[in-house]
Amino acid sequence: MKNLGSVFAAYLIGWGVFFLFYVSMAKRTSDIRTELDRLKNSLSRPR
Amino acid sequence: MAKRIILGFVATLLVIAGAYAAFYIAPNERTMGVLQRIFYFHAATAWAGMDAFFICFVANLLYVWKRQPKYDWLGVTCAEVGLVCTTVVLITGPIWAKPAWGIWWTWDARLTSTFVLWLLYISYLLLRSLIEEPERRALLSALFGIFAYIDVPLVFFSIRWWRTQHPAPVVMGGPGSGLDPIMSRVFYFNVFVMHVFVLFLIVERYVLEKLRHDVDLLQREAEAQ
Amino acid sequence: MSLLASTTTLLGKELRTEFRSRELLTTTIVFILVVLILFSFAISPTAEESREFGPGLLWLAILFAASLMLQPCFLREQNNDTLSSLRLAVSDPFAIFLAKLIANTLFLVLTEILMLPLFAAFYNIPILPQLHYLLLVLFLGSLGVSVAGTALSAISAQARMRELLLPLLLLPLLTPVLVVSATVSVSLLEREPVVQWKGIGFLAVFDLIFLTALWLFGEYLLEE
Repeated sequence: MKNLGSVFAAYLIGWGVFFLFYVSMAKRTSDIRTELDRLKNSLSRPR
Repeated sequence: MAKRIILGFVATLLVIAGAYAAFYIAPNERTMGVLQRIFYFHAATAWAGMDAFFICFVANLLYVWKRQPKYDWLGVTCAEVGLVCTTVVLITGPIWAKPAWGIWWTWDARLTSTFVLWLLYISYLLLRSLIEEPERRALLSALFGIFAYIDVPLVFFSIRWWRTQHPAPVVMGGPGSGLDPIMSRVFYFNVFVMHVFVLFLIVERYVLEKLRHDVDLLQREAEAQ
Repeated sequence: MSLLASTTTLLGKELRTEFRSRELLTTTIVFILVVLILFSFAISPTAEESREFGPGLLWLAILFAASLMLQPCFLREQNNDTLSSLRLAVSDPFAIFLAKLIANTLFLVLTEILMLPLFAAFYNIPILPQLHYLLLVLFLGSLGVSVAGTALSAISAQARMRELLLPLLLLPLLTPVLVVSATVSVSLLEREPVVQWKGIGFLAVFDLIFLTALWLFGEYLLEE
């Protein structure tokens, strides 16, 4: 099967791009949630 | 939250099913052989990406009209997701083209307008990063988004009518033209799969944008105290 | 004041401002000249190649020049905050855009007309036979560049890194103008000239579409 390598490369790289995007989003989301919790805590503590 | 997890799960399952259909259910194409299977992924992603950009356009219009932040969030979300799709299309396309036509690239209508589309939405995101004030950023990027989107058909036809000199290699010949019923079904199934997956990405990205906004609000409150 | 009256008044202001110093015109002409010369150094074309590539290069030079020339369009107003006074002075904010884009188109076309003899000389392309059609294409193409450029200039003026941003936003958007203007110009300047009316029509449609978009959305571009 002549061009099987190309087919695999296309699927792998293509899905790789999607995967990288999702992972970067997940990381940013979890960082933001931490930040959000931190802010909520510091604001709920009366001064 | 539970709905998002279910969506993610369903999207993953569909992706696996789509790939299985593309590799095992679809028959081998006569002229291109195995190579043609890239299309189930490539063309379906292109379609889903274009729909994401369309949603972005509608969100831009709605923001200019209603000025509600949620439309701005939807706009940037769909622009980013659409851009990721277009990137995948621009990568998988040449990987197919090199063995099929012997060249990585050609300046025909579809390829060129896809590339210009990619440039325009990169500019959209760049513009956003260069404006700090949130409402101004939302308005100006929405307006640029509108101009960019109405430009796309103009780009496509200008190249189609004045640059494509010879009958271009039929890019969507195999699956889209309905020659083989099984291929056609696998193709449309993959189109559905990619749309669900893109929807999943849009939901996740939108949530991120909303959280960012919440953090911004709280930060301003914290500074005010 | 009606739209026509406001536009005429503002147009007069734009033209007077420019002709007082003529700095925009002179720098734009010199820039196009430099770009054309540099192209010759980079490519070193034969006579045939000059005829084939020359018009395309001319249009490329025009695009580059325009993306620089359009920078001050709204930046100038920012410096003395004249934009708010302008908005108060007119009933229809579209007048501001109309005046600016007409002025920009005029400046561009004037620059191109002054450039044409030099272009014809450097690239050995006779332009007189088809001059009227050439001027038509130059006008329609420049109008397209101006309309999009004026709108985008209003956007980039409100962002950081505006000098780099405007070309980045503008040049991809103007792809259709570049492709069609260049192609129509090439076929006009061939040994057996052909007038591509479809192309000329396309440029007119492009201009109309973006003018309409600017008319619909212009006031939002000027919001404080």
